[in-house]
Amino acid sequence: MKDIIWYCILGFLVLFLMFLGVFWGSVDVMNFDENSLYIIQKIRLPRVIMCVLCGAGLAVCGSAYQAIFQNPLSDPYILGVSSGASLGASIAIVLGLESVFFGVGGFAFLFALLTVWIIIRIASVGNKLHTTTLLLAGISINFLMAAIISILMVVSQENMSKIIFWTMGSMSGSKFSDIWIVLIFVFIGIAVIRIYAKELNAILTGTDSAKSLGVNVEKTKKIILLFSTLMIGVIVSYCGVIGFVGLIVPHIIRLMVGSDNRRIIPFSIFGGMIFMLLADILSRVLIAPSELPIGSITSLIGAPFFIYLLYNAKKQLNP
Amino acid sequence: MDKTILEVKDLSYFVREKKIIEDITFSLQKGGFYSVVGTNGSGKTTLLKSISNIIEPTKGKIKINGKNLNKFSPKLLAKEISVVWQHNEFLFDFSAFQIVMMGRMPYQKLLQADSKSDLSIVEQSMNKTSTWHLRNRSIKQLSGGELQRVMIARALAGQTPLMLLDEPISSLDIKHQLDIMELLRKINKENNTTIFIILHNLSLALKYSDNTLALKEGRLVHFGNTKDILNKENIKELFDVEAEVIDGENIIIHHQ
Repeated sequence: MKDIIWYCILGFLVLFLMFLGVFWGSVDVMNFDENSLYIIQKIRLPRVIMCVLCGAGLAVCGSAYQAIFQNPLSDPYILGVSSGASLGASIAIVLGLESVFFGVGGFAFLFALLTVWIIIRIASVGNKLHTTTLLLAGISINFLMAAIISILMVVSQENMSKIIFWTMGSMSGSKFSDIWIVLIFVFIGIAVIRIYAKELNAILTGTDSAKSLGVNVEKTKKIILLFSTLMIGVIVSYCGVIGFVGLIVPHIIRLMVGSDNRRIIPFSIFGGMIFMLLADILSRVLIAPSELPIGSITSLIGAPFFIYLLYNAKKQLNP
Repeated sequence: MDKTILEVKDLSYFVREKKIIEDITFSLQKGGFYSVVGTNGSGKTTLLKSISNIIEPTKGKIKINGKNLNKFSPKLLAKEISVVWQHNEFLFDFSAFQIVMMGRMPYQKLLQADSKSDLSIVEQSMNKTSTWHLRNRSIKQLSGGELQRVMIARALAGQTPLMLLDEPISSLDIKHQLDIMELLRKINKENNTTIFIILHNLSLALKYSDNTLALKEGRLVHFGNTKDILNKENIKELFDVEAEVIDGENIIIHHQ
């Protein structure tokens, strides 16, 4: 019962921030003339809706990754999965494959999945994933992707601005036609992760422990990785790489409601929405009338947060 | 009526060419209290993991109530066998209550909320293990003894006829070791749960278990009544130490 009251409060906060996102910006739209209505309908409204969807999707993906990798520092961005997706998107653009195999989104998904496979291969020792190796694998993948993307930008200078958009993240190009696709994938992804929330809780107590509780661990991990990576692929292909949302939001939520994924997931949805809306507003007003990429805002907040978590976790990581 | 709950036949587990356990055959009777002893690396944990289907044996058969282990779905098996592990790593915060409630998972469908009967079974299990007062405490803040009692409560909440325990007391002080063993005896007697426990402390094995399995280098070298198995000669053979059994109750190991 208490949770429902919280959902209402957070829901109102999301609506308030969406309202703020639509009506506050470098151009005053409060006079509601033709020009203002155009800006509201075609630019700002799709943008805040995209923020809400990406925020929810990225935050829930983060909590799912943390459960699957049994590691509180996991997040699609830190593990290089988002970079993998952005490389897939960049390759599709440079090679002109935008109409082949579900276009940019399809390539983003495939490369994200490939990255997941690579980091698991690198960090697996027996049936366990080594925490430090996992983080290092993710960081190395990020280096590699950054290098390849730089080369792609130099080789294909006419696409440079498009590629920069993917690597730094932006909500500025959001259109209603894109929103439907993102909505469907985020909805399905979150629903699947929520269905397996109890199983994810059991996995957090250890693989053997979860197996002895009757959880089909391998199957659950595969399903969750597939659907969360699908969400990442779609989000990255429309909004670019937006880091640390999946790390910060579930962490704060966990401090508030504990580790039960049945509660973390719904709260992360709201938390992700709020975090992204705030980051988007900041990205538009900090150096108005110019705009900062939203990914740089989330990283500016997220990277120190990650360093703080790493500082606190060093005893656990180096027993 | 057949009272056999578990049958293990010619069980072997190899990692590449290395034999971890080899040709192990035994059966457990319903309601028995079995201890498993042997040196480190003798294959005790591998045996336990094979029985609980965590690892797949290289060859051999395991039957539970006459039915092949590989015929059980993970959930169905979790209704027959519960496991208490030696190491419990908790990177994430759960309350003791949430942990014990996980024992009810085999009975719950996807998305199903905890039912009234789940709640009452969890409360009973926690009362039996004297952990109900810890229910709201974080699992990370519990002492070793409290944590193992909570893990036993979780196993109890699964209402399984067979409970496997992998050295559950090896990191506890002697008072808490005895407490846990008394608790297991109570569960064994009152719930008729078959207990299969890996133990390093031979005196406790002698005091509490009816039957003992002794493993050496991956083979089952002795199986039978604990008092017959844990004698001076066998302890010398198994552990290469001189021991003395006093009044059939206490084992004293002599330092060489």
